[in-house]
Amino acid sequence: MQSFNWQTVERDSFFTRLDFRTKLTIMIVITLIAFTWESPIAGGMLTFLVALSSLLVGVKVNYLATILKFMLPFQLILLIIMGFFNIEQVKHLTGKTELTTLLMIGNSKMSVEGTLYGLNIIFKTLTMVFIVPLVIFTTDLNKMIVSLTKARVPYKIVFIFSSTLRLFPLLAAESKGIIDAQRLRGLAIERMGWLKKARVYATIAVPLILNAMSKSQKLDLVLQSKAFSGDPNRTFLHESVLKFTDYLIMFCFVVLLLVVIVLYFWLGVGKFPWLIY
Amino acid sequence: MEIIAQLDKVSYLYPSSSDLVLKNISLEIRKGEFLGIIGPTGAGKTTLCLTLNGIVPQFYGGRFFGYATVAGLDTLSYPVSTFARYVGAVFEDPENQLLATSVENEIAFTLENLKVPREEIIARIPRVLAAVRLEGMEKKQPSELSGGQKQRLAIAAALAVQPALLILDEPTSQLDPVGSKEVFATIKELNRSLGITIVMVSHAAEEMAENADRIAILREGMIEKIGTPAEIYSQVEYLEQNALRPPQVAQTFALIARERISTGKIPVTLKEGLALLEPLKSYYRPSSLESTSYSSPTSPLISVKNLSHTYLSGTKALENVSLDIHSGEYLLIIGQNGAGKSTLVKHFLNLLSSTKGQVFIEGRPIENLSVSDLSRSIGYVAQNPDNQIFNITVEKEVSFALTNLGYPVKVVEERTSESLAAMGLLESRHLHPLSLSKGDRARVVIAAILAMEPKIIVFDEPTTGQDYQGAKAILEVTRQLHQMGKTIIVITHHLYLMPEYAQRVIIMGQGTILLDAPIRSAYHEIDLLSKTYLTPPQAVLISEDLAKLSGHRSDLLTPNEIASCFNYAIF
Repeated sequence: MQSFNWQTVERDSFFTRLDFRTKLTIMIVITLIAFTWESPIAGGMLTFLVALSSLLVGVKVNYLATILKFMLPFQLILLIIMGFFNIEQVKHLTGKTELTTLLMIGNSKMSVEGTLYGLNIIFKTLTMVFIVPLVIFTTDLNKMIVSLTKARVPYKIVFIFSSTLRLFPLLAAESKGIIDAQRLRGLAIERMGWLKKARVYATIAVPLILNAMSKSQKLDLVLQSKAFSGDPNRTFLHESVLKFTDYLIMFCFVVLLLVVIVLYFWLGVGKFPWLIY
Repeated sequence: MEIIAQLDKVSYLYPSSSDLVLKNISLEIRKGEFLGIIGPTGAGKTTLCLTLNGIVPQFYGGRFFGYATVAGLDTLSYPVSTFARYVGAVFEDPENQLLATSVENEIAFTLENLKVPREEIIARIPRVLAAVRLEGMEKKQPSELSGGQKQRLAIAAALAVQPALLILDEPTSQLDPVGSKEVFATIKELNRSLGITIVMVSHAAEEMAENADRIAILREGMIEKIGTPAEIYSQVEYLEQNALRPPQVAQTFALIARERISTGKIPVTLKEGLALLEPLKSYYRPSSLESTSYSSPTSPLISVKNLSHTYLSGTKALENVSLDIHSGEYLLIIGQNGAGKSTLVKHFLNLLSSTKGQVFIEGRPIENLSVSDLSRSIGYVAQNPDNQIFNITVEKEVSFALTNLGYPVKVVEERTSESLAAMGLLESRHLHPLSLSKGDRARVVIAAILAMEPKIIVFDEPTTGQDYQGAKAILEVTRQLHQMGKTIIVITHHLYLMPEYAQRVIIMGQGTILLDAPIRSAYHEIDLLSKTYLTPPQAVLISEDLAKLSGHRSDLLTPNEIASCFNYAIF
């Protein structure tokens, strides 16, 4: 039987051995840098580095390709909107009064500058999306839970998070079962348009929610019998200890963020016209 | 003998209910005993179990009368978490009670909640895993385990707390025979070697008779009878009148006794029963029972040619399977979990594409048909009917498929009414399907399928999670459909239920068909069945022993058939 499972990388690497809190720091710093930079060159390099790191630590190419495929229509729309309609902002950023025409459709001009700004936003989103598997898939879920608790995240929230990860594959399998049941009752889903398909997917909500409610009632019972109270002062089987390397990396990344901010405001590194205009 | 738990005139009323679920129950559970609890659905068995760890009434509220003490502590005076130290609980569905993301975390969960030091938790994990024979699986995800292994993990997690009392509520009802055997063997071993007191609710009469020290019958919230398995299960007539299933060996000897043949006593275990056969052999006159034949018209309805299927994970689920199913057959597909039963049936429905080979429905290759096209020819009833219900009234549920298939309104109305009538659901047509009982919900799904007028209906584990009465009711529906001319395919682990219904049996193992034969000969392929970890019903084993004693084979299948071969009058 096919089953859905939470994905974790198989490769043991320096990155997998880092504490989750260190990885969270890396994620926050990279996200802030991605937010700060407007240059498509700097943003592109950052996206490339994050994607490369993901592949090096063992995230599967297929996974990144699926993300790209899923995001492609949105990215194209973004590029077109930015190319055609983002005029004032790029004029301000480049100091130009006239933009370079890349394409003309009727009276509408798609500018090179607007398109480049669109690319910058695409790289921002891709960096933020690619950093998630790099951090999450390289961390054992149990260590993630202990780490989050040590980071003072309330244990009840951490428990809900971990239970969701455990129940998600079950619900995904159940959803597929319900859709199959509808197909077996003459529903030709393969011949439907997107809108009709969306309506069909909406109908699975009823049995799915009812099943989830029934599951949660049973879960309540099980939790009671297992002395669960949400008390954060419980003991933990797994340990989460910050080592010297963790502190060093956290320090390096905070310094990196400061350097990026200083260079951005002082020398314009990472600003939109950087290395282009 | 020391008492570990005591109920004194306990009555209980759930907050939303007007009827007492438990009525004036007084019960002493002795330290180190294995107490079995049996009773029909709704008798209050689960509520009684939950009373023993304080969840009733502390978690549910409601009105509680009388006293319940466990390990000397009043269940009303201490929080539920206190009882978690003394009472371990294992529930019916292994999926719903495993919370953690790894085996070791599952075991550690309760201990962590009870603030047991980390070093102690680490020390206990290998011990309890060894006790349930799951050594070396610490890092595995629970989803990677088989049903039996999951249930054993749930037991290990309960055991880690070192409880004085272990409660198991229908722990084997969702498992295949191997899983069920594993669980019973583990429980008995824990009871015998560690002295843990066991309270177990189960419909598995044969296993309860073998393992329990005492059996209590709960009916309408009251303990109606309590005694040794021999005292309880030998009362065959009483059990049958109360919709409870006695072990087949007891049923067989009770029927023989009704022929005015003295059996001495009514045995409740197979071992006792086989030992009693020798003195009875002089009364045994085997009659030659014919195999129920199945028709083989010229062209099959379903034809499977050299079918193989390998999942993306690399698991070979089917290998070179060939099979013909003809119109009007009642076919039973059996085999342990992972034998390839469901994978095979999913190819009939086009829910899976073959890696090699082909499936034909009425001569047409299945790959040319969509799942919705196929629904006109073949209907599928899943194990959990709730996953097949997505409309707000019974009527809409039944007409759902007809509307999808584009039938005119008049035809939709006619066929919907006919199907509802056939399943006895006309009066419930305006109700929400989920407001009906589980058995009736299954009938709604069957009615919905019936409305499409398929020639074939597949039932995937229809009796799993049902009590004896519920299982029989669903199988009676399959008989009704078969009599209507439908071809019926049933996948089940409950072999003892099927002789009255099925004609032909496919035994599957490791993705291949090990045997395709009429039920009478298939059930007597004892060695082959054991190869795929299936145990034939006790009646078949008694029949085998009788054949050895008398020198006459007659391949009997049911207690009734065996009893009919005993005749006092001829002497």
